[in-house]
Amino acid sequence: MSKWRNSFVFALGATVALLVGWVVFPRVLYSHKHQPLDFLHKTHAEKSGLADCGECHSIRADGTFAGLPAVEQCAACHSERVGESKAEAILVDSYIKPGHDTPWLVYARQPANVWFSHAIHVKRANLSCTECHSSYGESDMARVYEVNRISGYSRDIWGHSMSRLRRAPHEGMKMSDCEKCHQQRNVEVGCMGCHQ
Amino acid sequence: MKVTRRDLLVWSAGAAAGLLATPVPWKVLDDVSIWSQNWPWIPQPTRGPVEVKQSFCTLCPKACGLRVRMAAGWAVGVAGSSTHPISRGALCPLAFAAHQLNWHPLRLRSVRHGASRSTWAEAQAAFAKASKEGPLVVIDGYPGRAASSVLESFAEKQGGSYRVFAPAELRALASYERWTGIPAASLGYDLENANTVISFGAPLLDGWGTPGRFTRLWAERAAGMRDPQLRLIQIDSSLSRTAARAWQWVEIREGSESASALASGLAGALHEQNLVPAHSPVPSMTLAESAAQTGMSVERIRELARLVVAKTPALVIARDDDPAVAALNVLLGSLGKRGGIVRHSEQVKPYVAAESVIGSARAVLIDASVPWDFVPQTDAEIFRFAAWDGGGTKPDWLLPAPGFLEDLMDLPTAPGCSVLTYGIAPALVKATSEVQSAAQFLCSLDGSLPTTAKIIDSRCQTVFRRREGSVYAQEIFEMAKFTSVQTFKEQLLKGAVWAGEPTASPEFHCLLKKWPNPARAVAAESWATEWRAPVMPPLASKLYQESGLRESLSRRNA
Repeated sequence: MSKWRNSFVFALGATVALLVGWVVFPRVLYSHKHQPLDFLHKTHAEKSGLADCGECHSIRADGTFAGLPAVEQCAACHSERVGESKAEAILVDSYIKPGHDTPWLVYARQPANVWFSHAIHVKRANLSCTECHSSYGESDMARVYEVNRISGYSRDIWGHSMSRLRRAPHEGMKMSDCEKCHQQRNVEVGCMGCHQ
Repeated sequence: MKVTRRDLLVWSAGAAAGLLATPVPWKVLDDVSIWSQNWPWIPQPTRGPVEVKQSFCTLCPKACGLRVRMAAGWAVGVAGSSTHPISRGALCPLAFAAHQLNWHPLRLRSVRHGASRSTWAEAQAAFAKASKEGPLVVIDGYPGRAASSVLESFAEKQGGSYRVFAPAELRALASYERWTGIPAASLGYDLENANTVISFGAPLLDGWGTPGRFTRLWAERAAGMRDPQLRLIQIDSSLSRTAARAWQWVEIREGSESASALASGLAGALHEQNLVPAHSPVPSMTLAESAAQTGMSVERIRELARLVVAKTPALVIARDDDPAVAALNVLLGSLGKRGGIVRHSEQVKPYVAAESVIGSARAVLIDASVPWDFVPQTDAEIFRFAAWDGGGTKPDWLLPAPGFLEDLMDLPTAPGCSVLTYGIAPALVKATSEVQSAAQFLCSLDGSLPTTAKIIDSRCQTVFRRREGSVYAQEIFEMAKFTSVQTFKEQLLKGAVWAGEPTASPEFHCLLKKWPNPARAVAAESWATEWRAPVMPPLASKLYQESGLRESLSRRNA
């Protein structure tokens, strides 16, 4: 009786820990934030004819990556409200008219000690944007930004899979992911390549 | 059913076992390690629009070309500029991390008088008083700059003396200055056209000269080749990094006496085998004596002599000022010859070495370019400019100087370079505290001195008027393409570098008739101990100290 009881209690403890570790912990670890306004990549691609990511997220002539478009670029079409949506009102009234850049939450932001060159990866290695950023450019909603409460990093850096065992090819932007990709392509980069 | 203490323990054991099968321990460990790297007091690079600017490393006279990544007006990254004709994209690890230096905890941010804080006004008053009371000595560690002209002019006007702390590459050329009358600063090594380089301990592949210059040449003409186009014979007492990569490593006993003895032995062997003109100077040291001092066999020295002349032009490079080693170039006829020691300019006058006696001075002003561990042996009042406090001996006045790329600076030809070069490094970043360079300090004391900016203007005009050479930017421009000095200067301010034409200078008239005495014995030290940066940025610490490339300051000072 005592042996079965002990096994049951042990299993109960293990089950509770597994539930906490796999279900509760990720929810506690990541806080959810929302983008300042609901930006729709799909709508922009379909209605504005912006077929290529580089039309807004351009690489400059000197090789640096412009990143997110500045508010002036948005103002080219949205100097006045184009539609009746709430996001349109926020964009025009809160950012374009006062001339403030939209404080986007950047899902793929790397820590400050990392230098990632989009020009080398896109132009020289011919990687498509989706290989790292998935098909987010075709989405019709601004997804929730999950931020790690301890490290302060975006969840995209670790990847959605907590175990990192079953993550999709585009998931995860940790150094080990960079190394794995480089190994697969047989491209050597020393420490100074990324940590200048 | 009653819950017992045993149940709780078993439950806890189960929970602990279960927890190990969850991501909690591993993820928390990872996140905490990241959190600990981002303490709030650690300076973080600014986020903002990124742009890349071309400039130069101003930390030492090698003047390597840089690409500086700027974010919101701050330098956040440094990489080598492949368009620079001399450094060709290579940098030393210190330059790679130079942008971090401005934020170093030992950065000097206020004037110090002894152990207490002071002000610029008090420092100026004290310096003005001291320089009027007695002889003044100004010491410069990076001669040839516009700022150097200001220092020299001030010293001359005060009736004082301008001295130079020359790097080893320049000191190694001092013998030729004595024998030919041509200042060492206007001489250089024509490495690009040499086919055999015999290095007497000079770490050619480990930080000697402009780091990229010889390493690139070696990579193109020697690396991996059984019979390289460029033969590097390294004479070293240990298997140094250069020796390990050289075409041949010749092992000799430790100490400068061995190098001088081998130079004499080689000269003897060259004469003995009629490999050099009979009228050239002959050393008094016999081959047997040389062999005894160097630890080599007589036959090995003879064989080495044959190797030296097997593939000419041959160029001998000393690690420091060693007349016997330098005399080998005279013997080999390498002075003023393609692939030898060449003269790249006419107008430079000789420098007085900083190490010469300055005991009678009343005041000594030390520029920030002088290595931190140079301490003048004098009772004079010392006014030392420095961007970082390296600790140890304290001068009377410690004056905060501009840090990396915080001040406009011009970059003359690097020591040992075979062609004239000129570049301008503008002040790309704002100084984070009230700093002054020694030149600015002196200009504020004497309004009649020309400012650094004016001297740079005048130098641009001089170079422009010569209409020689090319400007190396993203593409190479002939000087004829520049229609005005303004456009030329603008190009330089954008990080381009002007380089003169390699000249076929006439053979020097050399006064060396007698084989020189060997160099005085100096304490045996490795190149590693010559590393003189007062502080290390974190990245350079990793590269230099943890990898053992350079000895750490704490170990050296221990």
